[in-house]
Amino acid sequence: MPSADVAVIGAGLAGLLTAVRLAENGARVVVLSEGNGALHWAGGPIDLGFRPGARTAAAVVGQLARRRAHPYAVLGADVAPALDWFQRLTGDLGLPHAGSLSGGFGALPTGIGGIRPVSIVPEAQAATLQPWAPGERLVIAGHAGYKDFWPRAVASSLARPEVWGGFSRPDRVVGVALDWPGLRERRNLNALRIAEHFDDPDWRAAALDVTARGVASTGSGPVRVGLPAVLGLRDHPRVLEDAIQRFGAPVIELPLVPPGIPGIRLHDVLRAKLRALGGRILIGERVARVEVTEATVTAVATEAATREVLTRVGALVLATGGVAGGGLVGDPDGAIREMVLGLPTDGPPIERWLHGDPLNPASLPIAGAGIRTDEALRPVDPRRPARGPLFGNVRVVGSLLAGQQWMIDRSGDGVALASAWRAAASLAGTTASATRSSRTTEAVR
Amino acid sequence: MTLARTAAVPTLDPGIAWDALVIGGGATGAGLLRDLARRGMRTLLVDRSDLGTGTSGRYHGLLHSGGRYVARDRDAARECIVENRIVRRIASFAVEDTGGYFVATPDDPDDYVDAFPALCAASDVDCEEVDVTEVLRRNPTLNPRIRRAFAVPDAAVEPWALIEGNVADAAELGSLALPYHRVVGFDRSGERLLAARVADVRSGTEYRVMAGQVVSAAGAWGGQVAALAGAKLTMAPGKGTMLVFNQRMTDAVINRCHMASDGDIMVPVGTVAILGTTDIHVADPDHWQITRAEVDELLDEGEKLFPQLRRMRLLRAYGGVRPLYDPSETGTESREVTRAHVVLDHAPRDGISNFTSIVGGKLTTYRLMAQDTADAVARKAGVTERATTAQEPVPDPHGDGKGRYHWLGGRLAAHEADGGGDAALLCECELVTRSQLEEVLDRRWPCSLDDVRRLTRLGMGPCQGGFCTFRAAGAVADHAARATSDPIAIGDMTEQAMADFLRERQRGTQPIAHGRQLQEAVMTAGFHWGTLGLGSLVGTSPGSDAQR
Amino acid sequence: MTIASVVDEALHETVGLSTDECLKCNICNEVCPVARVDDRFPGPKYVGPQAQRFRLAAPVPINLDGRPVHSPDRTVDWCSGCGWCTTACPAGVKIAEVNNRARASMRAGHRPRLRDWLISQTDLLGRFGAPFTPLANWTLQNRAVRWLIELVLGIHRKAPLPLYAGRSFRSRFKRRGGVLGRAGEVDLPPPDRAVVYFHGCAANYYEQHVADAAIGVLERNGFQVIAPPQNCCGLPMISNGLYPAARSKARHNLDVLAEYARLGYRIVGTSTSCTHTLKAEYAEMLDLHDEDARAVSEATWDICEFLLDLHEEGRLDSGFGRIDLDLPYHAPCQLRSHGIGLPAMDLFALIPGLRAVDMDHDCCGIAGTYGLKKEKYDIAMRVGEDLFRRVEASGAAETACDSETCRWQIASATDRPSRHPVEYLAAAYAAADAAGTAAGTAH
Repeated sequence: MPSADVAVIGAGLAGLLTAVRLAENGARVVVLSEGNGALHWAGGPIDLGFRPGARTAAAVVGQLARRRAHPYAVLGADVAPALDWFQRLTGDLGLPHAGSLSGGFGALPTGIGGIRPVSIVPEAQAATLQPWAPGERLVIAGHAGYKDFWPRAVASSLARPEVWGGFSRPDRVVGVALDWPGLRERRNLNALRIAEHFDDPDWRAAALDVTARGVASTGSGPVRVGLPAVLGLRDHPRVLEDAIQRFGAPVIELPLVPPGIPGIRLHDVLRAKLRALGGRILIGERVARVEVTEATVTAVATEAATREVLTRVGALVLATGGVAGGGLVGDPDGAIREMVLGLPTDGPPIERWLHGDPLNPASLPIAGAGIRTDEALRPVDPRRPARGPLFGNVRVVGSLLAGQQWMIDRSGDGVALASAWRAAASLAGTTASATRSSRTTEAVR
Repeated sequence: MTLARTAAVPTLDPGIAWDALVIGGGATGAGLLRDLARRGMRTLLVDRSDLGTGTSGRYHGLLHSGGRYVARDRDAARECIVENRIVRRIASFAVEDTGGYFVATPDDPDDYVDAFPALCAASDVDCEEVDVTEVLRRNPTLNPRIRRAFAVPDAAVEPWALIEGNVADAAELGSLALPYHRVVGFDRSGERLLAARVADVRSGTEYRVMAGQVVSAAGAWGGQVAALAGAKLTMAPGKGTMLVFNQRMTDAVINRCHMASDGDIMVPVGTVAILGTTDIHVADPDHWQITRAEVDELLDEGEKLFPQLRRMRLLRAYGGVRPLYDPSETGTESREVTRAHVVLDHAPRDGISNFTSIVGGKLTTYRLMAQDTADAVARKAGVTERATTAQEPVPDPHGDGKGRYHWLGGRLAAHEADGGGDAALLCECELVTRSQLEEVLDRRWPCSLDDVRRLTRLGMGPCQGGFCTFRAAGAVADHAARATSDPIAIGDMTEQAMADFLRERQRGTQPIAHGRQLQEAVMTAGFHWGTLGLGSLVGTSPGSDAQR
Repeated sequence: MTIASVVDEALHETVGLSTDECLKCNICNEVCPVARVDDRFPGPKYVGPQAQRFRLAAPVPINLDGRPVHSPDRTVDWCSGCGWCTTACPAGVKIAEVNNRARASMRAGHRPRLRDWLISQTDLLGRFGAPFTPLANWTLQNRAVRWLIELVLGIHRKAPLPLYAGRSFRSRFKRRGGVLGRAGEVDLPPPDRAVVYFHGCAANYYEQHVADAAIGVLERNGFQVIAPPQNCCGLPMISNGLYPAARSKARHNLDVLAEYARLGYRIVGTSTSCTHTLKAEYAEMLDLHDEDARAVSEATWDICEFLLDLHEEGRLDSGFGRIDLDLPYHAPCQLRSHGIGLPAMDLFALIPGLRAVDMDHDCCGIAGTYGLKKEKYDIAMRVGEDLFRRVEASGAAETACDSETCRWQIASATDRPSRHPVEYLAAAYAAADAAGTAAGTAH
């Protein structure tokens, strides 16, 4: 039977980062995921945490760390080294991220005409970390008829000062709807298709030309150009550079409704890095069963077209996400089930899963449901934490960790980074056990 | 027959003296508008909200064969089957010919089942026993232990297209329906109501509407309207909760073959299947909640028909309030009161000679209810023309008027014939194109996205507005930009449209979310608040508690 | 410790109801190779779980302007059935399967197009072509004839059709004393010393050398190979929506193979397409859920999967000789649907000198019979374009791939041979023998 030192279940940000870190440290890693992960929805920024009025992400991390239930209580100190590693890693992979824990927040405009507070962003959004100068205008430009980005609507919304909260904002916001070459005739158009067009140098030049003229038509003076997050997939750095050059102005990619191209870029480079380090990613592999001997996971069985594939493992990392990721499921009888190991979960009762005014992120207490762990990120029973970890060789990372209200705290990515860092560190030196567990031909169907 | 199209949104011309004023824009009101118009009475219809937002917009979607009433209420059953046939004929575009079955589950007593065919026959309800295996083959998720099955001509009916069609028919004849116009009072002189004071809800402007006859078709709100006229009318509103399932696990209406009770019908309505319903008395038709306990009760009952029900994707729960009339005028428990429709003449009751109310009834018999009411009103007005609504077809607001039943695949086929593709689809789940949406905005602006939803099905699919709300908001912004170049105003309008729609959609998810729908809700909320920064647009402003 | 499954097995068995799981996340659209290259295809989300809500379960013909119409679909026809959507879906929606059924539904009530019927008749084409190999091959390679075939039938003139190779594998196997009978008719060694070989049409009529290589490797590892009566697995028929014909093929196969399966013999195949059909598609696409279908499904193995499993038990003769070669490897879409990883790559790692590189490309484009069709050939070539370029840029002299139709596509597009992975194992054994190297671990 195949074996791996560590099996990581889930290919989102936390899962992939844990796998890469482990592989960097020499472990044989396999990532098993039912499908592509949540990075395919991500819009670019790495959210470490935010509270209204906070000056730096570091301050928020500190505040959240003082909240006993939040994963930062355990992981707070890991955020800095994890971020440092992440920025070096992504920089090496051609996807550098700007910003720092102590560098302050900026406001990133979004594809629905709102803003989100950001501290760590990919290069294509780095301009948001610079305060706006007087007289500087923001031009929102995009293809007219692309249904997920309406430039004039976005601009109208962003023209309202209250949207920016207290953040530095442009004096003027203008929208221009353009005609990017050939897109109007397309019967099918989504962010990925447009990004692929941008990867083509000829098309790109023509589109940037049209856009530059559109931007120029809004007036003169200092400007930043806001475009939908479609600036190339494989060739993004070149696309971004070309755009900045052509406009002679900073460019900001606005995150859109999924598919999230910035997230896919990150997914792709992390995946390539993992493969380069000898790790494996198997998509379409749903975990059917886990074999355990005396509180130690010895093997993971994934569903195949028939039978299972059993992989011997030295350790298991659960990066399956909370309810949003599918790692937890809410049953109609109120039980919140963890889907791989059946771990006891910590979450609200069913009457409070979704509760209160929907237009308030506090109306989703279920988003904070998850697994409680000890300092080493090993799962514990939330009702009997003193009994110690339920499994010796299991780590829980990412949004599966209980106690995050990530829609309010905006700390989800920080938890992913920090937990990946700590889990990888605590699993250093793990190898698949020498004893073979029994082969099984149990049919799955 | 073509639809009359007004170039601009109709506004109220205070100079017109209407022959009749209809209050309430549900199916009955719309049917009444059409009937009176066809009798030559120039009629105005007003509704405090969009058309079809009362009980008509929140009912089960069922065009009854009458099979449900054959044991308890033969007259109602007979009425149903007669009107069923008429509606199929005159408004086939709004009807999907799903057919229906009454199936005998292990929980259904033999005596009822055995008597059922004869009971149907006695009410002239077509009923034919069919092979159970065939029914199970077509509906593999149905309870495999059903022992008998009877086919009846149940069907599914879409209320808003029906209402639109009735209104369009009346518009051809110079009558008019005005949503968002609320009656706030009457000018009365002695025995007559001279005029109604009507406020445009959106602008606040008040008008005096002169009308020869006033008819209340306000359903569950009939008591409130009557009170404004100085009449006494006590309604006993009965809330019914329904569950919307993502998939049509059945293409035919499935009824339990037993004495009618809660949660015993599953109706395929468009792209979803709806299980209903309950019957709980509420004091105020505008304020009530749906609880998880009710949802559980419905699921328990529904599992008797579909054992896998709790594993199927539940999209939302909604409720409607039955316009039940309490003749004792005490407002007692709704189970006791009649479901039959009653035309109330306020002349003998309250000394108001030109005021009539229609209460009770069900959507299936809307045309008959309208006709009975119109008969009474016409008599009072001295109008001798007879009804023609049973004979003449209702114009199809969207289609080619070829008199075909609604086909589930119609929208997909039309889109595919156009070349298909997702670039034009603003609502992908329900295949609503950009031009369809813009056309509705053209016709109805200023309106909410919920109004657009009623006419297009925007946001009624599995994502429950999670993706399409923003696209629709973009279209709203573009539309608003035609009337104003003030970006602040456009931004505000767009944000309002977005926020209201999201709130309304998610309200229906809260009481029921589990499994995939819970994941969907949390995932979409995740990218709303996280990726898209929705928090910078909508504050924590308290929404209305009203379950509207 | 076991985990409870959220969705009841019964629901997942029903492909149609799996669309309940759709989260509208668009991930399937992101991985679709056809949507990537052609604007006419709206992508798996649109034609799969989205359109499914507009399909009646039991389509009743609707009279649309005088024509009876069963199905509201059109664009689903562009789906190639590669299965990437199902693989990448994080919620377990059986998208490719839903698409295939929708396509079958589109065809229902109509006579199948002659071309679609013809290219799915692989048994017939093989049986009648093989005895006339020289003539048949000349015909298939003659440009004028191919133009004519394109015109009349709609098979693209450049479509990578395989060439006949003389006597069928079965005929040769019989000649050299191979066991070809049903379970009850022959003396059989115990199940741990014999395997059933499902050769499929390709190895039977066009690539007998693949069968020979597979048998050689199996025999070297102590397994007698049995090739019981069998016909086409039926996949070309399934792909073209010809379900009744496919069921007939399936029934014949199941009838024979189930007997062996119940006796504990494993069924090994050299085509990832055939073995996937036996493992999963009889149930998912043809609704065959009986004992025979289940027994055969549970007993079916891809040959690399089988050999790797042997290796992991320490029972594979790993005395491989050296093969000094740069070898681009393409994993067929169907292999991903197996969910067994990339066993060929793991086996290649055992052969000294063999530098196999996974091309990591989504789809070569052929998708079974899809890329043969006149209207789809260009799409297929564009889907595979990056793969072909990468192969050419690598400078390698040959490629490896587990599926026959992919091999024919890649070979044709890159103008260099493409081989089944098992051929390299056979060659490595031969190299070892030639070098006089002692055999590897004991059994």
